[in-house]
Parts: sequence; structure tokens; C-alpha cells
Amino acid sequence: MLIFISVALRAIRQPTRAHTDMTLFFGAVAFVIVVARLAAVVGPMPPWLTAVLVAVLIGLPYILLRLVDDFTHVRSAIKRAAELGLAAGVVATYATAPTVPTLVTIYIVLYFFVVSTFCAVAFIRSARRSRGVTRRRMEAISLGSILLATDILISGLTPLAQVDDRAVLQALGQLLGLGSGIAYYLGFAPPAILRRAWQEPELRAFLARAASLPRLPATLDIVRELERGAANSTGTTARIGLWQEETAKLRFWEDDGTTIELEPGKHFAGRAFELQRPIFSTNPIRDNPDGAAGYRSRNVGAVLAAPITAGERRLGVLTFSAARPPIFAVSDIELAGLLADQAAVILESRALIDHAARVRAREEATRLKEDFLSAAAHDLKTPLTTVVAQAEFLERRATREPTAPADIAGIKRVVRESKRLAGLVGDLLDATRLEQGRLVGEREPVDLATLAQEVCLHDTSNAHVCEVDASAPVVGVYDRRRVEQLLQNLVENAKKYSPERTPVDVKVWQEDGEARVAVHDSGIGIPAADLPRIFERFSRASNVDDRRFHGMGLGLFICRGIVEEHGGRIWVESEVGKGSTFHVALPIADGRRLN
Amino acid sequence: MTGLWAGAPPPGEEPGSRRAVWPELRDEGHNDTVLVVDDDSSILDTVSSILSGEGYEVVSAASGQEALAAVALKQPLVILLDMRMPVMDGWAVARALRNQGISVPIVVMTAAESAKRWADEVGAEGYLAKPFGLDELLTAVERFRGRGGRSN
Repeated sequence: MLIFISVALRAIRQPTRAHTDMTLFFGAVAFVIVVARLAAVVGPMPPWLTAVLVAVLIGLPYILLRLVDDFTHVRSAIKRAAELGLAAGVVATYATAPTVPTLVTIYIVLYFFVVSTFCAVAFIRSARRSRGVTRRRMEAISLGSILLATDILISGLTPLAQVDDRAVLQALGQLLGLGSGIAYYLGFAPPAILRRAWQEPELRAFLARAASLPRLPATLDIVRELERGAANSTGTTARIGLWQEETAKLRFWEDDGTTIELEPGKHFAGRAFELQRPIFSTNPIRDNPDGAAGYRSRNVGAVLAAPITAGERRLGVLTFSAARPPIFAVSDIELAGLLADQAAVILESRALIDHAARVRAREEATRLKEDFLSAAAHDLKTPLTTVVAQAEFLERRATREPTAPADIAGIKRVVRESKRLAGLVGDLLDATRLEQGRLVGEREPVDLATLAQEVCLHDTSNAHVCEVDASAPVVGVYDRRRVEQLLQNLVENAKKYSPERTPVDVKVWQEDGEARVAVHDSGIGIPAADLPRIFERFSRASNVDDRRFHGMGLGLFICRGIVEEHGGRIWVESEVGKGSTFHVALPIADGRRLN
Repeated sequence: MTGLWAGAPPPGEEPGSRRAVWPELRDEGHNDTVLVVDDDSSILDTVSSILSGEGYEVVSAASGQEALAAVALKQPLVILLDMRMPVMDGWAVARALRNQGISVPIVVMTAAESAKRWADEVGAEGYLAKPFGLDELLTAVERFRGRGGRSN
């Protein structure tokens, strides 16, 4: 009776279909119980009352079915069948009244049992699909339905039982009925205090994770966590749309990884974003006909959208959707606002972290560029020194002593250093091309063994002995000019860093389907600490003494670029004071281009 | 700041105090020797040929070790010292000279932007920022000519 009054009051305050159905249901239960109690006290009741009682009793499972439909979707065929069953039961009862035959009784009990069981199964399935507070409610309702079905079964069986057992069965039935009533009440119309208690652990879990959310690797990870937290806290499906400045749209991420862009003002999310206030719809198909197809296909019967805003900054929108309006409670609108605020705080923190990271990356890039420019300038200045000073000296000599023989050595120096300058400028351009990944151009079959011979013979200084060890041609499809540059760089490096008249050995062979080249010298070697960075473009850690830095370090950087753009690998083995061996492995053949 | 560097002059020693050393050399007669130290052979050859053409006696060294050996053989009027060299750099040369108690004016040659700072670090009397022109080179060396003995 108390439950009935509580539910009826709620229905008067908020006259919705669900509340009406709940009132009908609990009213019917209360009526049956009261009449039964009265009959037990006063004695046999008049036949008309019995008939009404039976009609109400038969009506109960149908009202229950309507409630199922209020909270989740019930196929109309099932509803029609239940209505037919109800009509048949009522007709049969009245036709045979007052002496109801056993067959009709069995039919009614069976009908009752089947519909209750169906409702129980429907709510269990609904509980499985939902989460948070909704899951608890659905669980309570399914428990109520199971208890009710069992109660009906026992009531039906009572007349068939032994006389001694009837009292026990009746007591059990009443207990089950009471339990079912309470479970239904908690599920269908949970008091605010219970709802809050159910929500609390979810909210607590969400808030506990909130602090760590801004540090998640991707914004999408944060969005997903926020969505999960919001969904669990409200027992609905939650989606976050983030405002995209560049497209001036709200972007939603679907589960399958695709995105949906929504214009502000469109659908509930767009409207909530534009109006900057929460919007709640208990009939989204009517309130937003544009989205009707989507609501039908996704079985959405209620939508709540709240803007995510940090101060003046409109960050996005948080939407909640559920199969039916009663999933939402009035307090959920307020809760949605709080969750949206929490999301705003988290997303804003994320934006600040991102901004700081971008600033750091920009500073780092600027520093690298400055370092690189200063290194490049240094390398260009060295040959330029000879060019400037020597050319001025030649000029002065020619002016003062026009008849003196030409300073051939001085002129040669100017020519050589000018070429060196040109080479450095070429390296700088190559480094730029490399960054754009277009260092390697047209490819053709190249024999590395022959190429290595040519590079070795090209030696002009005669200070080192360059020897090639290759037993057979090793032909691959490469950019000839670039691979030659690669071998030249490696051989020149080997010469540069090893004492005069020590040998530089170049080995070319084939191994495991790869072309292999090894350039070995007996030079100064590379300290182990420098090995990991040896192929990187000059990037100086701030704690490294700038005096120790020599040159741009572009040679090996370009070498690595050439090798990697060919799909190969380059590495070095070195020991200080003993020498270095640079290894190159290139794919041997590229069938696509061989023809 | 300069005291942190091994090549910096010891406290109290002013660059000018080196003059006290030179009168001894003056007794030996004129000293026109310039030691040029650079690992870049073109610069070494260019600077050497220019200074030779101007009447200096030039000793060239392609490394720090060669420079020390040359100084041991004969103290020059001035050392034109490249700073960035493999194995033994300009700082190491300046340090070694001081450790041996040898005081020769140094002019730092470098392409780095920190030329002046580096010159201070090794207690050099001047610096030549690469690329330098003919006149800069001659001026930088000229100012020491009077110190080593009779001027041309």
C-alpha cells in the first residue's frame, strides 16, 4: 500500500506513461492483496468482487509487460499476443463464472507465468546491456519478475498440494509476493537516496581516475574514459563531441574508429552546444525529426545533452542516450551538468599540457635549427677562409708585381676550396631533401663491386691505400649517383680519420639475399658514447662541450638517408684507437624496377 | 668564468706580463718566426704562404702535437692557433705550453662565433675570426713584430 501511494504521488507530480503504468501495476497488486486479506478476515466475498479480482489478477502480467516496454523495447507482436491472451483469459473467466473450471485456472496461471518469465528475461537482458545505476535497477526488476513468476506458480500449485502443506505454500507465496513488490519498487521507482547510493561508487571511481586522465597519450583515450565514466555514473550511453576550431563542427568518435562531424545547432548535441544549456528530450523522434532514423536504429528513446564549457571556452558537448525516458531521473540533468564540468576541467588540463608540449617541441626545433645553422656556418667558413685570404693575396701580388710568375699553388688552393664549398652547399641541400624523403631518385641496376672500385680509384691524395675485396659482381637496383655518394662518403671518412699510409679496405659481398658493403679503417675510432648518435644530423645535447664538436656531421646523416630510402640498413663497429668498420646492407633486387 | 678552463691564465698573471719574457729573446737577436697551427691543410698553406711573402719565417703545424714539437725546437714570435682540431685541440696546446712554463703570445683562429670567449679562455692576446681577410691576418701578426726584435 505504501509503495502504491509513493508511486501514485510520483505519477501525479510527473504524469508520464511509465509512472502511470507503475501506479497501475502497484495499484493492482495492492488491490489484490487488500481484497484477499479482507476475504480472509470477513469471509467469502461476493461473486462480483471475485470476478473483478480475477480480472485485475489476469491484467497484472500485461501491465508488467507494458512496464518492460517503458524501460526497454518490446516487439509489438509480443504485445499483441499478450493482449490476446489477456482477453481470452478474461472472457473465459467471465463465461464460466462463478464456477471457474480447473482448465481455465491452469490457463490463467500459465499465462501469468509465461508473461512474467518473459518480462524477467527481458529485464535480465536489459540489465546485461546497461551499466551503472540502470544495471542495478534492471537487476532489481528482473529479480522482482522472477519472484512474481515463482509466486504465481506456487499459488497455482497450492490447490493441488496436500492440505498440510498448503499453509506453508501460502506463506511462501506471500513472502515471494512481498519480495517481488519491493524489488519492483526499487527497480521501477528507486527512491532518490537509493539511486544516489547506486551512483556513488561509479562517480567515486570516475573522479578517482579523473586526475590521471589529462596525461593519457591521446585525446581520444581521454574522451573514451570520460564517456565511460559518464555512462557508468548515469546508467546510460554517453558520447562526447569535441569542438573543432578548423571545421567549426563538433566531432564525435564512433566505436568503429570513424568520426562524425556535427554542425552547431543540429540535433540535441548541436543545440545544447549552441544554446550553452542542457537539453533533455523524452521523445527525440518527435523533438528532432532529422535524427529519427538514427534514434530508431540505435533504439534511442531519450536524450540528454549538456555543453562542456570551461569559462568562455566552448570545448564540446556531452550527450547521454537511453532506450526509454524512465532510465533518466530528474537529478540526472544536474548530474550531467556536473559531469560535463568535470570533463571540461580534464580537457582543459589536456589542452594546457598539449600546449606546453608544443611550445617545448618548437623551442627544441628552434634550438636544433640554430645549432645546425651555426654548425653549417662553421663548416662553410673553413674553406671560405682560404678562398678569401688567398684570393686577396693573389690579387695584391698581381697588382704589385704584374710580371712575377703566377702563384700556381695559391690558385690551386682557391680552386680546391671553392669546390669544397660547393660540396658543402650540396650536402646542405641533400640534408634538406633527406628531411623531405626525396633524396633517392631514378633507380637502375648497379654493380656495387665495380662502383666500389671506381670510388677507391678516385682517391687523389695517395695518402692511403684503398683496396676493394669483391669476388663477384653484386647487382642491385639503386640510384647510382646516391650509392656512389654513399661509398665516397664512407671511404673519405675512413681516410680522414686514419693515419696516412694505413689501408682502407672496402669489402663487397652478398649475404642472406642482401648486398653488403663494409668499409674498414685503422683510424682513431669512435668513442662508444658517441656511437648511438653517429648517424644523426648534428644534434648537440646542451651539456656537451661545444669545443668537442667538429663539422656539421652531415656526411653520415646523408649516408643513412641514402641507405634507408633504399630500404637498407647502416651500422658501425668501432674501437677507439683501433679503427672503425662501417657496414651497409641493401636489398639486392627490386623486381618492379628491374625491367 | 675563464678560471674554469684549464687553458686560462693563472690568477694574477696579466697578458701584459709576458713582455718580461721577451727581453731575453731580444738578446738573441730578431725573431720573426710565426707558428701557424691548423688541421685544415688549405688554411695552413694559405696563411703560411701569405706570411712568408710578408717576410716572416713561418713554421706550420697540422696538429697540436706538431705545434708543441715546433715550439720546443724554437720559440716563435707568435702562435696562430686553430682551436678545433682532432686529438689535441687549441685548449690542450695552450695548457701544455703553460705547463712547460713557455710563454708565447697566442692568436686564436676559429670559425666559431665564440672566438672572443675562446681567446679569453686560453689567455690569447687576440683572435682571428674565420673567414678573415688578408689585412686582418697581417694586422694580427704585425703587432707582435716589434716585440720579438728589430722591426723590418
